[in-house]
Formats: sequence, C-alpha cells, structure tokens
Amino acid sequence: MSTPTHEVPRDETVTRSRFSWGWLLIGIAGVILALGALRTVTGADDVASAGTMGAAVRAAMPIALAGLGGLWAERAGVVNIGLEGMMILGTFGAGFAGYQWGPWAALAFAVFMGTVGGLIHAIATVGFGVDHIVSGVAVNIIGLGAAQYLAALTFTGKPGGGPTQSPPVERMPTFDIPGLSWAGRELAQTDLVFLTDAGAVLAGLTTRVSLLTVIGLACIVGTWLLLWHTSFGLRVRACGENPQSAETLGVNVYLYKYSAVLASGAMAGLGGAFLVDDASVYRDGQTGGRGYIGLAAMIFGNWRPGGLVAGAGLFGYTDALRLRRGGESVHALLLLIGVGLIALAVWWLWKRKVAQAGVTAAFGVGLVVLHLATDSVPSDFTGMTPFIATLLVLGLASQRLRMPKADGQRYRRGEAG
Amino acid sequence: MSDETPVAVRLTGIGKRFPGVIANDDVNLTVHPGTVHAVVGENGAGKSTLMKILYGVQAPDSGTIEVEGNQVSFSSPADAIDVGIGMVFQHFQLADNFTVLENIVLGAEKLHGTGERARRRIRELASAYGFAINPDALVEHLGVGARQRVEILKVLYRGARIIILDEPTAVLVPQEVDELFDNLRELKAEGLTVIFISHKLDEVLKVADEITVIRRGTTVDTVVPADVTARDLATLMVGSELPSPATEVSTVTDQVLLEVSGVGLVDPHGGRDLLTDIRFTIHRGEVLGIAGVEGNGQSELVEVIMGIRHSPAGTIRLAGREISDESTTRRRETGIGYIPEDRHRHGLLLDSPLWENRILGHQTRPPCSRRGFIDRAGARADTERIVTSYDVRTPGIDTHARALSGGNQQKLIVGREMSGDPVLLIAAHPTRGVDVGAQAAIWDHIKTARRKGLAVLLISADLDELIGLSDRIAVMLRGALVGEVDPRTVTPTQLGSAMTGAEVPA
Repeated sequence: MSTPTHEVPRDETVTRSRFSWGWLLIGIAGVILALGALRTVTGADDVASAGTMGAAVRAAMPIALAGLGGLWAERAGVVNIGLEGMMILGTFGAGFAGYQWGPWAALAFAVFMGTVGGLIHAIATVGFGVDHIVSGVAVNIIGLGAAQYLAALTFTGKPGGGPTQSPPVERMPTFDIPGLSWAGRELAQTDLVFLTDAGAVLAGLTTRVSLLTVIGLACIVGTWLLLWHTSFGLRVRACGENPQSAETLGVNVYLYKYSAVLASGAMAGLGGAFLVDDASVYRDGQTGGRGYIGLAAMIFGNWRPGGLVAGAGLFGYTDALRLRRGGESVHALLLLIGVGLIALAVWWLWKRKVAQAGVTAAFGVGLVVLHLATDSVPSDFTGMTPFIATLLVLGLASQRLRMPKADGQRYRRGEAG
Repeated sequence: MSDETPVAVRLTGIGKRFPGVIANDDVNLTVHPGTVHAVVGENGAGKSTLMKILYGVQAPDSGTIEVEGNQVSFSSPADAIDVGIGMVFQHFQLADNFTVLENIVLGAEKLHGTGERARRRIRELASAYGFAINPDALVEHLGVGARQRVEILKVLYRGARIIILDEPTAVLVPQEVDELFDNLRELKAEGLTVIFISHKLDEVLKVADEITVIRRGTTVDTVVPADVTARDLATLMVGSELPSPATEVSTVTDQVLLEVSGVGLVDPHGGRDLLTDIRFTIHRGEVLGIAGVEGNGQSELVEVIMGIRHSPAGTIRLAGREISDESTTRRRETGIGYIPEDRHRHGLLLDSPLWENRILGHQTRPPCSRRGFIDRAGARADTERIVTSYDVRTPGIDTHARALSGGNQQKLIVGREMSGDPVLLIAAHPTRGVDVGAQAAIWDHIKTARRKGLAVLLISADLDELIGLSDRIAVMLRGALVGEVDPRTVTPTQLGSAMTGAEVPA
C-alpha cells in the first residue's frame, strides 16, 4: 500500500488532557492562597476556617454522589434528571432503617431505595424508550410522593417522629486522621501567611471525618477506576457514545445501560443517606434540590469524575459558607468573585474575545462595587448562594463542554448499520 | 469454484419483512472461501438488510444460514463474530470521542485486554496489512479513509475469516479506492473471504471473483466478471441501461448569477482557517463543480452561501443583489435550492410524513403557506405532484420519510428543492448512496433545470458525476480554491491527484 499522502494532515496526537498531580497541587495551593488573602483583606475569618472546610466537605459529599449518579447514567447515554427523586427515596430509606437498626442499615437501605428509583427510570427509558426528561421528572414526582406517603405511614407516632420527620437516626462513627489533624490544628493556630490557612483547610478535612465520607470517596475513586480502566467501563461508555457501534461489536447495550442506571440510582440513594446522617434525622424536603445541583456539578465537570468533584466542592463550599456567619462570609466572597471575574475579563481581552470580556468585566466590577458599598449580605440572599453559584459557574464555564454523543437518545436493538 | 470446496457462507431462502416493505424474499447466496464475492443491486434492493441478517443485527423471518458447512442462527452480532464473521458498515460504527484502541477492543476485551497487549496487537495487525494507524489517536481526528481502516482493523482484531464490506467505496476518492482494493487482495491472499456490497459496477468488475445480483429483494443471478460487462450487470440490476451524467451541449450564459468574493471562515475551535479568501462566479445555465477530499471546506462553503454560517469578510451576491447579511429563510425565498450533503441530518425529518417534509424550507411560501399559516391542503397536493413527477416510490404521502429507501428520500428532496423555481441550486453529493435508477433521474432533473437557466453549485465525491455534469470544476484544498480544471479534458485520476494537493493539471 502506498503511503496515505492524500489524508488531510491533521494533528493525530492524543489530545486528552492528562491528569497531573503537580497541577492539582498548584491549583489547591492557589485556592488556599486566594482564600487566605481574602481573609486578611476582609477580616471575614470563616472564609478559610477549619469549621467551614469541614462543613464544606459534608455539604459537598451528597452533591458529589448525586453528580456521580448522573455520571453513571449519562456516560451510558441516559439523561438522569430524576436524581433528585432517587435521592429523596434514599433519604427515606436511611431514615426508615436508620432509626431502627443503626447507621449501616441506613446506608444499605438508602442505596436500595435509590436503586429502586434507578430501576423505574431504567425500565422507562431503556426498556420502553420513554423520553429521558419525561421519565426523570416522573421519577422525581414519584420519589417525592412515595417518600412523603411512606414517611407519614411509618414515622407517625414513633418517639421523636412525625409525618414529616423520622425518629432520630444514629450517625456513622467519625474519626480524626492521626497526625494530619493535629498538624493542621497546630498550623492554624500560628499566624503565618498561607500556612495558617493551609493548616485550617487541612484540619477541616482531617478532623471528625465520617466513615460515610470515606465510603463516598471510595465510590468516586471506584467509579473512575471502573468506568475508565475496565472493559466493563469501556462498554458502558461506548453505550453513551455510540450504542449502535457497540451493538455491532456484540455488546448487549441494554444490559450495560440497565447496570449503569441502577448504579446511578444507588449513588443518588447514598447521597440521600449522607443528608440523613448529617442531620441525624430524616426530614421532608431534606434534599433541597441537591440532585439537580449534583447534575450541574457533573456538567461543570465535563462528565468526568475529577471535574465533578471540583464542581461539588465549589457548591459545597458556598453552601457551607452561608451557614458560617453567612452575611459576613458571603459578603467577603463577593470581593473574591468580583476580582476573579475581572481577571477572567482581562484574559479574555487578551484572547480578543471582546464581547465576553465586556460582560464578565461588567459583572466583576458590579460585584466589587456591591462589596464596597455594603457591609453584609442580608440572610435572605445568603441562602441563595449555592444556587447562584450554580448558575454563574454553568453560565461561564460551560463553553467547551462535551457530553457523551448519544446522551439522551433512544436506543433500539436492530437499528444499527 | 468446484463443488467439492467447502462453502464459506450459504444463504438459502432468506426472507425478511418490515411493516409495509418486503426487504428480502427467497434470497440464495453461495460464497466460496478465499474469494471476493460482490453483491450488487440498487439502493433499497435489500443488500444491506441481507448483510445485517448475515451479521446477526437482524433476524430473518425465514431461510437458513450456513457458515463453513454448519447451520447457524444468530441472535446478536456476538454470535456472528464467534463463528468468524465481521462486518464493516456503510455508515461507520465508531465512537468519535474514543481512541482507535478503544474502538477496536470494545466488545473483544477478552482477547488481549484493553491495555499494552492490545496496543501491540493492533500495531502488529496494522503493519501486517500496511495500515498507518496510531492506536491512541482520537477517531474524530481521523479522515474518512483512516476511519475505514479502523473499521477493517476492528474486524481483523476479532480474527474474522469472513469479512462483509457494505458500500466501502462510497466515501473514498479513487486513490483510496485503489488502496482499499489492494488491501482486499491481501486479505484474500491470506485466505480470508470478502463479501463486498456495492452498486458501482466498474469497481465490482475490477475486484470481485464472483458477483451476485439482487433486484427487489431477491437474488437474480450469480455471474463471473469475465463473462459480463457493466452494461449486462446494469440490465440485471434495474432492467435498463447504465446512465451517464454527461451533459450534451453547453448552456452557459454570460449573465452572472452568483458572485462570491473574498469569503473566509475562522475555525471557532482555534484550528486552521476553514475557508480562506474564496472567490468565484456562476453564470445562469452553468454548473460549477467543486472537487475536493471531504473535510477541506466544501461543507463550510455551502453553509456560508446558505447563511447557516456567517463569513466575517467578503460578499455574496445573488443576481447582482448582496445577500451576505440575509437570513437563510430569506435567501431561500430569493431562489436558492439546497440539496444537503447528509439528508438524514439536514434534509429530512425522518419521523415525519412526506408532506410535512415538503414544507421544510418552504414554510413561508406558497403552496405550503397562505397568509402566514401553513397550508396543509396546498402542501399535500404539491407533495403528490412531487411524488408523481419525480417518481418517489412510496405507499403514500403520509408515510414517514424513514420508511423510504435512500434513493427515494433523495428524489423527494430534489423535487422539493426544484419547486418554487430556484435560480440557484446548491447540490452537495446529490446522488450519494443512491441507486442507478434514481441517480439517472436526479441527473436528468439537474440537466433539465440547467437548460432553463438554473445555476448549479455541485459538490460531489463521485468524480464521474462531477466531470460529467460540470461546465467548470474548481479544486478545493484546505479551505481554499487552489485551481480550476476543464471537465472536458480531465480524467478522474488526474482530478483525484489534484484534490490531494498534487499539481493541478492544465
């Protein structure tokens, strides 16, 4: 065969971004440095305190798990807007089993209930080819209704329980990571640039860590390994990219789609267990839209686990911040975001994207002015922080995202070729 | 081919019905091992359905399949792969966002894993058959020819002994076709059996050892290439003579109809410019052909003229009036007809009835629209007209577009775009994936309209079509028009090498 000179010359090098620990560390250090500077400038101590960081992790985990659920489903080509409903089922499951048989039963039952939600979604979308959004919304409604009905049925009259609340649930044991936790606390006591804040962050992440957090982290790492480093994962992702192609290679697409959507439900259910564990009680409306925010975190993370964790961390942090002297902390955050947006605008200007630079600069300047003109953000608005962060981040970051190609499309066997 | 040699594949009495359509009826096919066996027939004759049955994608309603002497029945392609059958589909079955390696090992992870061993095995296979393929390249970055080689590697990786190629040459330029045929001969030399689906008769005669003709879902005859000519095969296929795209006399006038000057387009993803300083004119009654390897800016050029993409520079004038800032709808209203390159993605709503498809792009004009509302009766009546005068074979105008064969879908689009008396027709691959009969009909319609003063911008990968229909041919390479050739003197081979950047023939 002659050399294929007629091919249009294109860059055939591997263009996937390679994960690098170096960049990760630089990024984390940058974030800590920025928060430390913000703390020094504004005097809002809670923007980088150990307490905030611990709360941020607890707030981020349910979002990350919901996002992980979204990742499983969407990588297999099923859009899962029903995560919220599956999460609600998970919270009921955790409450129901948790107050009777303890935290491990709560975990198992939450996963089971979430999986049931996933099964409904899988049967509708994969089995019957129902539109994924329609089915997902239905799952949300069913999840909410079922949880409320079952809660009223099982919790009413129990000690400490009622129609909208379960009896108290025992929490998973927590532990301090030896050495790190102590070192972090010691560092946080000092008054050094950067090291103080790094210590606070370290202490926040390593003190009173719940076993559940460890399990959640294991799920994230496990998902990454399973989806990107096994043949099972290759097949699941093939179903999301091009199910017809997978079919022509003898892959049973239905099987992998079902597995992935069930896993999706299980993850969302586990996210529900987190919420119950954190509050040590099941409460009606406990999820508060975290299923949707998880989905947003996943989209922000470009359908990758690493990005998803970053997105969940961001939402978890803003969520935690509003609880830690919210008025003052969120007010301080405005300055950071404002300055960040102005920096972004400069970068865009340098890239000659004038329109984007203009809009971004306008928002940035607006936020800085708002920060300078006020002393505190009213509590009516601090509660909105995570949601506004969701909107902002998706609006600014979702420029070059790539979803699985066959995501949301109906698949029928025998239509390949 | 004596009777004693064991048969590679024997299909007996295969039948397959879809709602309203008989795709296959009593198909009999015998393929001998170590040969290239061609299956030819018009589009919609049932070739692809037959091959999907042989590959286990669809189950036959009746008949038996024998592979190497054993009767088999497939419930999924996995079963077919197990007995050593592999298939390269007409529309490539590749996940764009996966690497070559991932695409190849998918479904066959047990053979060599998914890591270094698999990579080594792919390199071995690639060098054994002379394929230049980097296992870690993303498929979306590969050209058409390379994608096809990935598809063939997929099949070889699984150790297939019987390889089905469904219309493999439809997307290739002549040089690539020759390379493919060299590859096929090597495969044959290794003792593999190749089943080759096509409707391009000259290619079939060049490469096949035996040819089976399918017409209207059933096998008509099996012949040896030495005994037949292309004309004989065409008669077997359609019962009529081989059509020719050649136009008789020039109808070019001196009135400029379309004038494109200085049009460019930047890659939004930051790559090389998609179009650079494009300038050309088309006169009334003239067909300007654009030759080029796919992906060199032809699609973008069409989209700029249609107003789907906007060129930051340059002007486009239609009949003297500048249209550069007008919307696509407005441009269509002023008389641009458009046959898109991918009829499934851009030309049709597959799950809508034909009469609704008739309205697309004409929603603001009679007969589809009256006083701002859709005129159902008018649209339906006009669809009937198109179906009759363009010979669209369909049960009725309420049939969904998906149920029609490619040729009939294309005839409907041509009929739609020719209605409303366009002054300019942009035809991107007007006869791609269309059978001989429909091809002749579409060519005739373009020729007739040209005689009446229609200007045509023709983009085609079929070089015979390009040379036959065009009055002038411009060669496009990397987003720029690099030269012009005279269709009266140029040969397909010369044109093919001009398209790849070699010297443009005088």
